Amino acid sequence: MNRRDLNFAERLYLSEVFKGLWLTSGHFFSNMKKHLARQLGFTRIEKGAVTFQYPEERRPFSPRYRSRHRLTQREDGSPRCVACMMCETACPARCIYIVAGEHPDPNIEKYPARFDIDLGVCVFCGFCVEACPEDAIRMDTGIVEIAAYSRKEMIYHIEDLLQ
Amino acid sequence: MTSETETTSTEPSQPKELTPRAMLLNVGPSHPAMHGVIRIVTQLEGETVEKCEIEIGYLHRGFEKSCEQGGYNQAVPYTDRLNYVSPLINNFGYVMAVEKLLGIQVTERCEYIRVIMGEISRVTDHLTCVAASAMELGAMTVFLYMIKAREFLWELVEDVTGARLTISYGRVGGVSGDLPDGFKEKALGVFKEVRKVLVEVDKLLTRNRIFVDRTKGVGTISRADAIGYGFTGPVARSVGIDYDVRRDQPYGVYNRLKFEVPLGTRGDNLDRYYVRMQEMEQSLRIAEQALATLPGGAVNVDASGNVIEARDMVDRAKMGQTRGVKQTLVQLSPNLEGLQDPRYKQVVASDKRAVLPAKSNTYGNIEGLMNHFMLIMEGYGIQPPKGEAYACVEGANGELGFYVVSDGTGRPYRVRVRPPCFALMAGVHRMLEGFMMADIVPTFGSINMIAGELDR
Amino acid sequence: MIVNIGIELAKVLAVLIGVLNLAAILTWMERKQSAVMQDRIGANRASIFGFRMFGLFQVLADGLKMFVKEDFIPAQGHRFLHGLAPFVAAFFALIGFAAIPFGDTIHLFGREIPLQIIDLNVGILYIFAAMSLGIYGVVLAGWASNNNYAFLGGMRGSSQMFSYEVTIGATILGVLMIFESMSLQQIVRAQGQLLWGIVPKWGVIVQPLGCILFLVAGIAETKRVPFDLPEGESEIIGFFVEYSSMKFGLFMLTDFVETVLIAALVTTLFFGGWQVPYLMADGWHLPGGTLLAWPQWLVAITQVIAYAIKVFFFCWFMLLVRWTLPRFRYDQLMRLGWQMIFPLSILNLLATAVVILLLN
Repeated sequence: MNRRDLNFAERLYLSEVFKGLWLTSGHFFSNMKKHLARQLGFTRIEKGAVTFQYPEERRPFSPRYRSRHRLTQREDGSPRCVACMMCETACPARCIYIVAGEHPDPNIEKYPARFDIDLGVCVFCGFCVEACPEDAIRMDTGIVEIAAYSRKEMIYHIEDLLQ
Repeated sequence: MTSETETTSTEPSQPKELTPRAMLLNVGPSHPAMHGVIRIVTQLEGETVEKCEIEIGYLHRGFEKSCEQGGYNQAVPYTDRLNYVSPLINNFGYVMAVEKLLGIQVTERCEYIRVIMGEISRVTDHLTCVAASAMELGAMTVFLYMIKAREFLWELVEDVTGARLTISYGRVGGVSGDLPDGFKEKALGVFKEVRKVLVEVDKLLTRNRIFVDRTKGVGTISRADAIGYGFTGPVARSVGIDYDVRRDQPYGVYNRLKFEVPLGTRGDNLDRYYVRMQEMEQSLRIAEQALATLPGGAVNVDASGNVIEARDMVDRAKMGQTRGVKQTLVQLSPNLEGLQDPRYKQVVASDKRAVLPAKSNTYGNIEGLMNHFMLIMEGYGIQPPKGEAYACVEGANGELGFYVVSDGTGRPYRVRVRPPCFALMAGVHRMLEGFMMADIVPTFGSINMIAGELDR
Repeated sequence: MIVNIGIELAKVLAVLIGVLNLAAILTWMERKQSAVMQDRIGANRASIFGFRMFGLFQVLADGLKMFVKEDFIPAQGHRFLHGLAPFVAAFFALIGFAAIPFGDTIHLFGREIPLQIIDLNVGILYIFAAMSLGIYGVVLAGWASNNNYAFLGGMRGSSQMFSYEVTIGATILGVLMIFESMSLQQIVRAQGQLLWGIVPKWGVIVQPLGCILFLVAGIAETKRVPFDLPEGESEIIGFFVEYSSMKFGLFMLTDFVETVLIAALVTTLFFGGWQVPYLMADGWHLPGGTLLAWPQWLVAITQVIAYAIKVFFFCWFMLLVRWTLPRFRYDQLMRLGWQMIFPLSILNLLATAVVILLLN
């Protein structure tokens, strides 16, 4: 990076303006070539734009990406959660609400009678996943489309979360 | 002009004396060019700003009070949202303050990781600032090129932390997970792309007389004023104040890494642009050095070669079948990829009072489970001894300090942030007065005021 | 008589439709060209029955949106002037096209039809007069909006346009001296001559400095980046901040129509207008003496197409400049106009005069 004062040619505006125009028109022509080539059928040429055309193309998420929650299931389909309230306590936004119920099997003492996550309040920090000692809640669904028409619809109950 | 004739009912009355009044222009909170929400009331004389008054506080969300209602780790997502373009630096600053209270020393690999992620964050912050300033000056292509570079960096951050901006990566005693495999190669590739963009922006702006005329000599502040208001960071360095927390009060492993601190002389917008562009290059250099000398890494587990799913480990351990469990690797949720047992130990301090045990212990044996519960349960958690600690880091805007007071319980008594932007905003009116109205927005942009940090 | 009126009407319609369509296409091109320059894809979702046509329907969508929006007049503003301003701006930008030739002549129905709406012998002066009257649109818009920001924009816009009117006039004096006429058709015809037998006598070759100065002053006149401080999108929003729906649409249209006008003027004065090198009214007169005969209608059509391509290229160039350069601050802009471009154009004039004197 040249921090000296502008020399005479640069003070005439034109030389640097032309260099700038050369750079951007370079981008223009190289991208146009790529677009035209892809339109004509040469699909092996790299894309001329960095855009992902949602919803046809989606940006690939990394494996650690925190998307919508899900409750993991046992073999019989019931949630693995034992309502220990660790996630509810760890949540900084206080968006999880659990009501525990007694489970007939003494090895699994409790189960969640209610498990609500208010996705409008959730900050997607992942503390619940870290706090769970049973690997019952995960944020790996890859679903990020959680828009709703009302705040009530953004509260996900246990049946929504089991999918 | 007075009329000498007698006034009759048909003639116009005497014109009043015209007193010139300066125009009051309200560059209001909702303005397309304002960074965050700020109100600047300016008094204009023609095109020159005579006086201006700045009103802040539109984004006050009660960060400091909110930190007092949860545990020490639960304040980390709040700190993400302070300087939301460089969230990793905020995380680490806060966590360092709590570690000082607890007297914990984190592992070396963790320090290196914090340095790398902090410098990546710094680059994203400077990219945003220079891009927004260029856009306000009319060069919109520069904006989009830099945003493209920023996207590449965010993909890197997403690979490590699980989110692009609201990362919650720091934990008391370490970080939330180790770097993924193949991170070093990917990061070096991304840094190359970012450098390409920086070269392009340099070609488009630095020697361009239109840009130089717009920014040279504009928004200057004297060195005495800068020190008096308490400026730190790139704005202070552009005036010539040679202070950088990374070098003068080193934390982490900055004392082992070589980097330069770019300085300016005039304190105008152009110098701030130079300082930020050169700081980006230096940050990339620091990150590359740290990646090259990163200790630890893929650990060869002396395992019997088994990998079991997390749920199986939980089920078996509950039934008491813990034989051989310690020699297996557990397949965790993809979100928890960085907490795989042998790697996790490298990035967190081995302090049971503050750090969650590795998942294999939580799932696999009762001691780990109890430790886990005690750290999360209400009323327990991380309980530092009574006291106070202040830790400062070099944020993208200056010295970002966290002052944490503990009263011995699991909740902080007080968390105070020293936002670097606050001192900058106090002195901004000096930078705006005397210059033209068209300079308000570029000068303001070059200060990089982030409302989240300013108003907390 | 009727046929004459019919022909004139046809020409007017052709020019009007051509210019308005080009201005509308320029809105599309602005988005797409800027997108390609910035490594992204522009607006491409507007579709009719599933056909996207690369986003061309976006233009229709924008127009439709503007028509159905609420038309808003600020409460304390001056109603009549507020409504008059966009009309004034658009009207005077459009009538400038009457004097610009888009072809030589075409022989149809036994008549010789000049491809120009009117061939004034003070064509240039007429165009500049029309552009000057367009300044009123800006002033009225800024003043009648009862808004400090708009007022600032209007003041800046009007004084900028005034100064660059003078400058633009000064830059082309050299061209007028060389081609010895103010009628645009004469100037274009004179550019068909060959210098030293090979090089066509285009304006850019005999007046390179004048061309650059005219281009700069022209971009300043149309208030496009890097001279768009009156529009000042990120600072004071501009003189049209209190306009909505189609009145705002008219201001945007004026912007693009003036772009086309400056592009047309540059091609006419400096790049040979409708001239294709070596193509005369009866065919190709290649250097070396060969003559390739072409029918007259083919020659005429080729020349019109050449003109269109040149105008299109200059529009593309102005869009490229718009998306690359930062903008000037107001006082720097005025200083550029008065202290740099104007003296340089006077010097250019003196040098041209000396050279003409020496060569004759």
